[in-house]
Amino acid sequence: MSATTVLRSLLHELRQAAPNGCIKDSLAARYILAQFKKFKTTDQQLCKARNEAVFLGQTYLTYLTSTRNYNELHKEYHGRGERSVKETADLVGFKLPTDPK
Amino acid sequence: MFARLATTAIATLRSGSSSKWPVPTTIVSRQYAAQPKRFYKKTSVLYADGGYEVTLDHRKLKTPKGAIFSVKSEPLAIAVATEFDNQREHIERSRMHLSAICFTAIDNPNNFTKIDMVNYLLNYIATDTVLFQYDNEKDLQELQQNEWDPVIAWFNQRYETNLKKTMNITPPKVTDEDKMKIAKHFQSHSLETLHGFIFAVDTLKSIVLACAVIDQQITVEKAVALARLEEEYQVKFWGRVEWSHDLSQQELQARLAAAVLYVHMNCSESFVKEKLLV
Repeated sequence: MSATTVLRSLLHELRQAAPNGCIKDSLAARYILAQFKKFKTTDQQLCKARNEAVFLGQTYLTYLTSTRNYNELHKEYHGRGERSVKETADLVGFKLPTDPK
Repeated sequence: MFARLATTAIATLRSGSSSKWPVPTTIVSRQYAAQPKRFYKKTSVLYADGGYEVTLDHRKLKTPKGAIFSVKSEPLAIAVATEFDNQREHIERSRMHLSAICFTAIDNPNNFTKIDMVNYLLNYIATDTVLFQYDNEKDLQELQQNEWDPVIAWFNQRYETNLKKTMNITPPKVTDEDKMKIAKHFQSHSLETLHGFIFAVDTLKSIVLACAVIDQQITVEKAVALARLEEEYQVKFWGRVEWSHDLSQQELQARLAAAVLYVHMNCSESFVKEKLLV
C-alpha cells in the first residue's frame, strides 16, 4: 500500500469512527497529517527499519478497520434475548389473534 | 402411540387457544453488567511530569487501579484519547484493546517482574503454532510448508536459533542455548514493552509470528492469517460462518494491531537533530 492510500484510508476510518462523523478538530487526524508531512520526502526513518512510518500507519489502519468490522458483526449477530410472540409469529408467517386479517 | 399423544396434545392446544392462551408478558433477556455511560464530551492530551496524560473534559483519565494514566509516547496518548472519543453512548471497555494494554502495563495487575514475563514467553516456544505441522493431508502440508517455513527460517536467521518444526504430536526440541538467545532478546526490552509482547503472543499463540510482525517482516493481517492457517484451510471445505470465523479474525487483528502499535510506540524515540547555522 502506498503512503497516500494509507493516509486517505486512515482519515476515512477516523471519520467513520468519530461519533459525529467530523474530524476537523480531531487530535489523531492532526497528528497523522503532521507525521505524513514530516516523512513526505522519505518514509525511511534514518537508522530504522525501512518504511517504518508507513508500516505504523498501516497497523493503525488495521486496528481501526478491524474494530469497526468487529462492532458491525457484533451488532448484527449478538443475541438480544428471547424473541417476543409477535416476532416469532412474523418469523413463520403467522398472525396473532389480535392482528387484522 | 406417539401419534395419539401428539393428536391429543394438538387438540388440547386448540381448545385452549380460543381465549386463555397464555401470552408471556415479559420478555426474558440475559442480564449483563451495565456498561458505564459516556460521561464526557471531549477528550484531549496534555503533557505533565515527563508523561502524556489523557483528559476527559476536565477530568484526568485513570486506570482501573486508580493510578493516573500517563505514557511516555505522545502518539500512544493520542490514540487512547481518540479511542475514548470514539465511544458512543456507552464505554465499551472490552473492545478498547489499545487502552487495555496501556492500563495493564501501568497497573501490572499480576505484579509480574521482567523474569516472570520472559519465562512466560519462553514457555510458548515449545508449543508454537507454526512449529506443529501436519503431513497426513497433502494440500494442507504444502500450504504450511509454503507459508510457515519461510517465517521459521527468518526467525532462525534473525535470532541465530535453530528451531525445528515437528510433524507429529511430540513437541519440538528446543535447546537451552536457543532459549537463552531468545530470552536475551526479550530481556533487552523494558517491562512495559514486554506487556505488549505478551499481548501479541497470546493473540497469535506463536512467538515466531509475533516477532516477525513486530520486526515488520509481515503485516498484521498476514500474521493473523498465518496463525489461523488451518482454520482458513478447513473453512474452504466446510463453509464460513460470519459470526464465528469473521468475528474471531477481526478481533485477533484488532488485538494484534494494538499490541504492535504499543510495542513500537514504546520502543521508538525519535528526535530531530537540526543543522547548525554557521
